[in-house]
Amino acid sequence: MTYKIQIDDLIRDATDEEAAAIKTKEAEAAQRAQADADKAAARQTVLAKLGLTASEAQALLG
Amino acid sequence: MGANAQTAVPVFTAGQVLTAAQVTQINTGIPVFATTTTRDAAFGGTGEKTLAQGQYAYIEATSSLMVYSGSAWIAAGQTPGLVLVKAQTIGSAVSSVEVTGAFSSSYDNYLISLEGGVASTGCGLRLTLGATATGYLFAGTFVQYTSSTVSGQFGGGTNFEIGYGSTNALSAEIVLGSPNLAKVTTFRSRGADTSTTGYMNSYSGFLNNSTQYTAFTIATTTGNMTGGTIRVYGYQNS
Repeated sequence: MTYKIQIDDLIRDATDEEAAAIKTKEAEAAQRAQADADKAAARQTVLAKLGLTASEAQALLG
Repeated sequence: MGANAQTAVPVFTAGQVLTAAQVTQINTGIPVFATTTTRDAAFGGTGEKTLAQGQYAYIEATSSLMVYSGSAWIAAGQTPGLVLVKAQTIGSAVSSVEVTGAFSSSYDNYLISLEGGVASTGCGLRLTLGATATGYLFAGTFVQYTSSTVSGQFGGGTNFEIGYGSTNALSAEIVLGSPNLAKVTTFRSRGADTSTTGYMNSYSGFLNNSTQYTAFTIATTTGNMTGGTIRVYGYQNS
């Protein structure tokens, strides 16, 4: 996949090194998004076990 | 040059008989000039007034009213709190946009606004300063539009997270403190995801070094962006 880089009004293809850095960043972001999703799922599991809705749990903690 | 523009600000001698044109020239109130060049040429010459503090001038080229401070021409009237430093249109299908010449010694603090355009897919937007790839510390909260659950976010390390992109729009608002000063750069951001199942975020943090930056880069966490405008404003120091 070709990545494009813009510097002010100049647009060019990313170098191999830049493309590798972009891929690394994309992988980090995907990992973080997955962690957030896992955390949300875990929270939902706990709420289900307690028999509470999210707003009820929030009221309890608040 | 407009009908009221003049090329000289004359001075008259005692007893001098004035022509109608000369009377017209001194009857314009604030003198009007085509450009700052013609303004500067209109004072101090033979038969012209000496430039002094309090002299006003209107410049047609920039539609601006200026006043002479005694040492320089400055904008007249109320000074705006925010001054547009640079507006950068985002090109087509780019993964990142570097904006150079954004920060200088003219202002200590800056507001960066990104609106419009689209992302190729739902993504986060991140910001880096200069060529720095470490030392970004931030934390904050994000909430999904479909939930009342407030989630925390922290970390960064290699960048600040600033907002969101979707196939509807790009959105981020960032305040940077002292990016061009030899001290840490503080950071605050707010983003509004424009997908129906999207998020809002509010993050704060700082870049832990004393590098004096002039440029920044906004990039997507995945996919690319097309269109929209990045605007950089400086906060007036006084």
